[in-house]
Amino acid sequence: MVFNSYTFVVFFILILILHNLPFSWKTKKINLLLASYVFYAAWNPPFILLLWLSTVVDFFVGRALYTQNNVAKKRMLLVVSLIGNLGMLCFFKYGTFVLDNFVTLVNAMGINYHPAKPNIILPAGISFYTFTTLCYTIDMYKRKSEPVKHFLDFALFVTFFPHLVAGPIVRPPQLVPQFETERKATQQMLLQGLFLMTLGLFMKVVLADSMLSATANSIFGSEGKLPALDAWMGVLAFSGQIFFDFAGYSTCAIGVAMTLGFILPQNFFYPYAAIGFSDFWRRWHITLSAWLRDYLYIPLGGNRNGKVRTYINLMITMLLGGLWHGANWTFVVWGGLHGFYLWVEKAIADYRKDKVAAIAITPSGEVGVLGAVPEILKPKNFRNFSIALFTFFLINVTWVFFRANTFTKAWYLLKSMFGFTIKGEPMLTTLAIAKVSVIVTCMVIAHWLMRNTKVLDVIPKLSWWFFGIVWTVLLLLVILSQESSSSFIYFQF
Amino acid sequence: MLALSIVFLLCWEYYWHSSGYVLGYNDDDALWCRNRAMVYEPADKATVFIGSSRMKFDVDIPTWETITGEKAVQLSIAGSNPRAALVNLGEDEKFKGKLVVDVTEGLFFGTWEDEKLTSHLKYLKEATPSQKVSAQLSFALEHKLLFLDQELFSLNALLTRLYLHDRKGVRGDVPWPTKFTTTNFRRQEIMTNEFVKDTTLQRRVTDIWTMFGALDKYHGVTRDTLQKIFDEVKTAVAKIKARGGNVIFTRTPSSGGYWANEPLQHPRAEYYDQLPAITHCGSVHFKDYPDTKDFICPEWSHLSRPEAEQYTKALIGHLKEQHWFANAR
Repeated sequence: MVFNSYTFVVFFILILILHNLPFSWKTKKINLLLASYVFYAAWNPPFILLLWLSTVVDFFVGRALYTQNNVAKKRMLLVVSLIGNLGMLCFFKYGTFVLDNFVTLVNAMGINYHPAKPNIILPAGISFYTFTTLCYTIDMYKRKSEPVKHFLDFALFVTFFPHLVAGPIVRPPQLVPQFETERKATQQMLLQGLFLMTLGLFMKVVLADSMLSATANSIFGSEGKLPALDAWMGVLAFSGQIFFDFAGYSTCAIGVAMTLGFILPQNFFYPYAAIGFSDFWRRWHITLSAWLRDYLYIPLGGNRNGKVRTYINLMITMLLGGLWHGANWTFVVWGGLHGFYLWVEKAIADYRKDKVAAIAITPSGEVGVLGAVPEILKPKNFRNFSIALFTFFLINVTWVFFRANTFTKAWYLLKSMFGFTIKGEPMLTTLAIAKVSVIVTCMVIAHWLMRNTKVLDVIPKLSWWFFGIVWTVLLLLVILSQESSSSFIYFQF
Repeated sequence: MLALSIVFLLCWEYYWHSSGYVLGYNDDDALWCRNRAMVYEPADKATVFIGSSRMKFDVDIPTWETITGEKAVQLSIAGSNPRAALVNLGEDEKFKGKLVVDVTEGLFFGTWEDEKLTSHLKYLKEATPSQKVSAQLSFALEHKLLFLDQELFSLNALLTRLYLHDRKGVRGDVPWPTKFTTTNFRRQEIMTNEFVKDTTLQRRVTDIWTMFGALDKYHGVTRDTLQKIFDEVKTAVAKIKARGGNVIFTRTPSSGGYWANEPLQHPRAEYYDQLPAITHCGSVHFKDYPDTKDFICPEWSHLSRPEAEQYTKALIGHLKEQHWFANAR
C-alpha cells in the first residue's frame, strides 16, 4: 500500500495502537512483521513469496558465510546468495530489457527472430529489498559485522514496512540493534514522526502530484515541437516532482518509523543546493550512493589503483547506478552523464590539487553519508550559490534522459530547451507555468537556506503557535489537494 | 493542530453547502469499476448502458429501476468514444447481458484512443487490494463530505478557476460552470436546478460546445475509416449476441446548435442508421418518436432531471415495443 492512501491511514492507526499496547517485545515484533507482510501483500499478494524466499535464504546463507572458514565453500555460498538475489532482480527487472536487446542484436545480424513478448510484472520494491539483503550477505562474507542472532529480527530488518518498498536502503548495523531491545517512541519522537509524515505527504501529494506532475507529464508526453519556455518548464516540473515524490516518500518512511520508536537513516539532504556533483551525490538518495560506494565502487578498486582506474571505476559505478533505476538505455545515459560530470569535477580538482571533488565517492566511517562536507563547500556565499545554480542547471539536463522513455524524445526536448526548435507550439497554460516557477524557485531557495540544517533541528527554534499553524496548513493542503493513492515514482525502480 | 484542522474543514464543508452545492461523487476509476462489476447480472435482471455524457444525463436510473424492476448499470463516460467499451464487453466472455449503446456521432465515430476508458480498464485489471480498500473508504467519506468532490473543490480545481490569461495558441482550461452537474453514486449525471434556471450559465456551456467544434462545418470521417469502424462494431456485437446477449442502439436528444449541425457533420443515413442495419440490432432514435423528438436540452446536449425522467419513461416504452424486456435474445 502507499502512504498516501486511505488504506494506509487505517493501517497506520491500527499499528500504532497495537505497538503501544502492553504486549511483550517479541509479540510487538511479530505484530510489526505481520503488519509488514500485510503492507506488502496489499500490492500483489503472490510476490510475498519472493520476499520470504529472499529472507530465508539470506538469513541462513549469511550465518554460514560468517562461520565458514573454508575459502572455497565460502565463495560458493556468496555466489549462491548473489545468484539468488541478483538473479531474481535480473529476471523481474531486466528480463524484458535483455530479451529486447538480444532480439535487436540478432535482427541486426540478419537473423529473423521474434519471440513472444514476456509479460513480466515487476514486484514492488524488489530493487530496494534486494540491496538490503545483499549488503547483509556481503558483510557476512567479509565479517564486517556479527550475524543477526534471531530469524525474527532478520525478517523484520528485511521487511520492516516503512523502508521495504522504496528505502531508505538500510544496513544491518543501522536497524538490527534497534530490534534487539524494546523500543517505544517518546512523546517527542511521536510528534516529530507525525510531523515528518505530514511533511512527506505534503511534498508528495501537494507538490509532486497536485502541482507539478501534470506539467511534467504533458511536456514529456507531447509529440510536437515545443518552445524553449515550455520545454524548460516541463523539465523543471519533473525536477521538482522527482525530488518531492521520492524525498516525500523517504520523509514519510522516516516519520512512520519514528512514531514506532525506530530511527531510519536520512536519504535526502537538500540536493538542489549541491555545490557540484560530488556534493549532489552526498545529498541525493544518500543510502543508495553509500551502498554503491561500499559494495561496488570500493570492491572495484575505488581510488586505490591510480587515476585512470579511479575514473573508470567511477564511471562503472554511475552507469550501473543508472541501470538500477530502470531497464532502459536512457537510464544508463543518465548515469553516464552523472559519471561524466564527476569526471570533469575530479579532473578540475586534480588539476587544482585541492580536495573538493576528490571526495566524490570516497569511503568514510560514517554510515549513510558520503564523507564529511569539505570546509570550502560550507559557506553560503555568492560564489557557492552560483556554483549551486549551475549544478542545478546541469542536473536538469540529466533529468531529460531519466524521464524521457526514448532517446528521440530526449533529443527533441533538449533541442527545444536550447532554442534549436523553430516554431514550437506553446502548450502550457499560464497557471501551469506559474505553479512550476513559484514552486521550483521556492524549492531551490529553501534548499540553499537549509543546506546545512535538518528540519527537526529547526522546529525547536519556532514558537509553538507558529509551528502549529505551519503544521495545520501542511495537513489541510494535503487533504484539500485530494490526490490520494497515486504511486510513488521510485516504486517502479 | 488537529483541532484547528477539524474546525477549518467543518467551516469549509459548511461554506460550500451554504453556497448551494450538492453532494456528488468522483467519477473515477474505482466508481466506474464498481459499476463494471455489475455487468454480469443475468439478462433479465439488468441493462448495461454505454455511451458518452448524454447517456449519463438522460437515463434516469431511479425511473428506470422503478418501472422495469431491472437494474440499470451506467458505464457511459463523458466525452468518450463508447466503441472501445463495446469492444471490451464483446471480448468479455462472461458478459451475456443486455446492452444499450448510445451514439453521439461526433464521439462514436471518432478515431482517437479513449484515455479515460483505458485508465478504467487498467484499474479493473490491475487494482491492488490496497486500492480496492481505499476506494471503499473513499466512497464512505464521499457519502458524507461535499468538499471531497475533486472536480469542484480540489486545490487544482480551485486554482484553475483563476482563469489566468493564456498565451496565444494554448488551449487553456475549460471554464465549465461549477454548478452545471453532479455525479451520483450510480454514475448518473444530474443537471443542477440552478443551472436549469440560469440562462447565462447555459450560454457558457453552449460557448464551450462551440469551442469544441459543435458548429464546425465538416463531414464525418473517410470512407475507409468508416468501414473499419463498422467492422469493429459488427464484430463486437456479433460476439455478444453469440453468447446470448442483446444489443440496441440509441440516439439520445440534442437540440439547438448541436442538432442543427450534427446531421450535417454525420448524416444519419450514412452513419447512425448503418449501425442497427449492419448488426441486425434494434434502434431508438429520439427523432423517430413523437414523445421524444421535441425535447429541448438547456445547453443543446443534455436533458435536465425532469426531462430525463420523461425521456427514460419513453425509452422504456420504445424498448418494450422491441421486446427488450421480454426476451434477452
